[in-house]
Amino acid sequence: MTKFETLEIELEKRYGKNRDPWGLEPKRAIADLKVLYPFYEYYFDVQVHGKEHVKDKPYMVVSNHTGQVPIDGMLICTAFATELEKPRILRPLVERFLAGLPFLGRWSSEGGAVLGDRNNCLNLLKRGESVLVFPEGVPGIAKNTKDFYKLQRFTKGFLRMAIASNAEILPIAVVGAEEFFPYVFHLKKVAKLLKIPALPLSLNLFPLPSPIDIYIGEPYSLPKELSHEALDEELEVHITNIEKKIQELTEHGLKHRRTIMQRLKK
Amino acid sequence: MKSVLIIGIHGALAKITAELLIKKHPQIRIHGVDSRTISDVPLRSQLTFQQMKYTRTNFEKIFREYNFDTILHLGRLGHSRATGNINKRIDINLVGTNTILELAHKFHSKKVVILSTHHVYGAHGDNSMFLKEDSPLRGSFKYAELRDVVEMDQMCTNWMWKNQNQIETVVLRPCNIIGPQIKNSITQYLKTSYAPLPIDYNPMFQFVHEFDMASIIVASAESLKTGIYNVAGDDVVSLHEASAIVGMRKVKVPIILVEQLAKIMTPVWKFPSYLIDYLKFPVTLDNSELKKNLGDNIFRFSSKEALELLKLN
Repeated sequence: MTKFETLEIELEKRYGKNRDPWGLEPKRAIADLKVLYPFYEYYFDVQVHGKEHVKDKPYMVVSNHTGQVPIDGMLICTAFATELEKPRILRPLVERFLAGLPFLGRWSSEGGAVLGDRNNCLNLLKRGESVLVFPEGVPGIAKNTKDFYKLQRFTKGFLRMAIASNAEILPIAVVGAEEFFPYVFHLKKVAKLLKIPALPLSLNLFPLPSPIDIYIGEPYSLPKELSHEALDEELEVHITNIEKKIQELTEHGLKHRRTIMQRLKK
Repeated sequence: MKSVLIIGIHGALAKITAELLIKKHPQIRIHGVDSRTISDVPLRSQLTFQQMKYTRTNFEKIFREYNFDTILHLGRLGHSRATGNINKRIDINLVGTNTILELAHKFHSKKVVILSTHHVYGAHGDNSMFLKEDSPLRGSFKYAELRDVVEMDQMCTNWMWKNQNQIETVVLRPCNIIGPQIKNSITQYLKTSYAPLPIDYNPMFQFVHEFDMASIIVASAESLKTGIYNVAGDDVVSLHEASAIVGMRKVKVPIILVEQLAKIMTPVWKFPSYLIDYLKFPVTLDNSELKKNLGDNIFRFSSKEALELLKLN
């Protein structure tokens, strides 16, 4: 049985044949995955480490955000749909900007993306879905070359939602995505004028075939007595722990990084 | 319930509600009013009706005469028929409603049910799914023509809390009401062949069948306590799916052309411009408050079933 046949059976068990309220259309999502998969496997040569940490339950998947365009999110989602024993469609929480765009907003929601909103996140976790968040936000993905792989400070909203829904945090580090666009300069003022989150200027228009390693860390459990209405100071220690965990995974990945040159030689 | 005033009796929903009330309470006395020419009202001994201007004098006269204990305000003027006549809408939706509320208090009515709409929340790209009743009312942020709809809702809810110790008031915010008799914009849209369908957007929709809506209005009048309630079932359907279920051929075009086509088709199909945003962004409602008070089995038809019934018609 192929990856996609297994996925189809698993998704039908989970969602039936209908769309879910956030617009996910399982058949469409699988069709999209079939198109994306050759890029995932051959162009970006994605390798996933730490699959054994993922059990069949809802997670708040927290990742670093790199690579100027959210390809890292698509690759993580493809990994969760095709590489796990119990495949699933991860629900990435996306920028309001993306959700309102013609064609792209529709395509992303049919593939599983959901507007990044507190109520959406809580409702999805309540329904047993796993959500993917990038708590660095736009400052994480839109970095100049000199800041590559520097983790930006996490916002706290995701932690409050994880506490409120008793979901474990699954830390993830993506290594290799910053090399999609090796030389980048951000036109911040122009982006502000155009009312778009970021406007990177790069030497290459199409992402380079940088090999990608996705590191999945051990789930981080939050203390049961911690309230989702706790003071920011009480959450700080957990935010720091999660940031530290993702930074460690990133550094480990950078030590074992595969380069574009190595791939070309191969 | 002994004596009921139904405002907007010409509307299909009001007629179905009147029928249901008569069936459940054979001793009831219903008086229906409407500013439009009234036609096709079921002939029942319990039901009288009159066409009248929504003036204070006219309302005072009927309040004195009939001694209403329950007021069902289903007469909010929609936009599809009154496009371009904002003065008439403000007069009916705001001044008229204010008069009705004042008189209900003055003449010691026990219950007021007001039919508002989910349009008060507004269709925005950043709407989360399943909006609760306390979500901000952003309907008029982009479109001034929705101002009276939002203001009417706010006026009613303010009045409701102010007078909660004297009179029970229920404000209902239903999702899209559809059915063979309803002639609102969304029903017309779904039933119109070759109406434009955006190819670049596919928002999620909720539909309530006209019979279910009328049953909920009756249940609200009977037993729902003071408050604001979203009215929607549990299932949601995408716009494209809804369109496919009803089975009318649509012209699939990018959203920027939908508005232009809507203007061209105005003579045969009145589609208010603010509704274009409802074809782009979802406005789905959380129904937990209604279900908590009326139970889980209040809907006979799901969204899909309501659409299938529309197709049969």
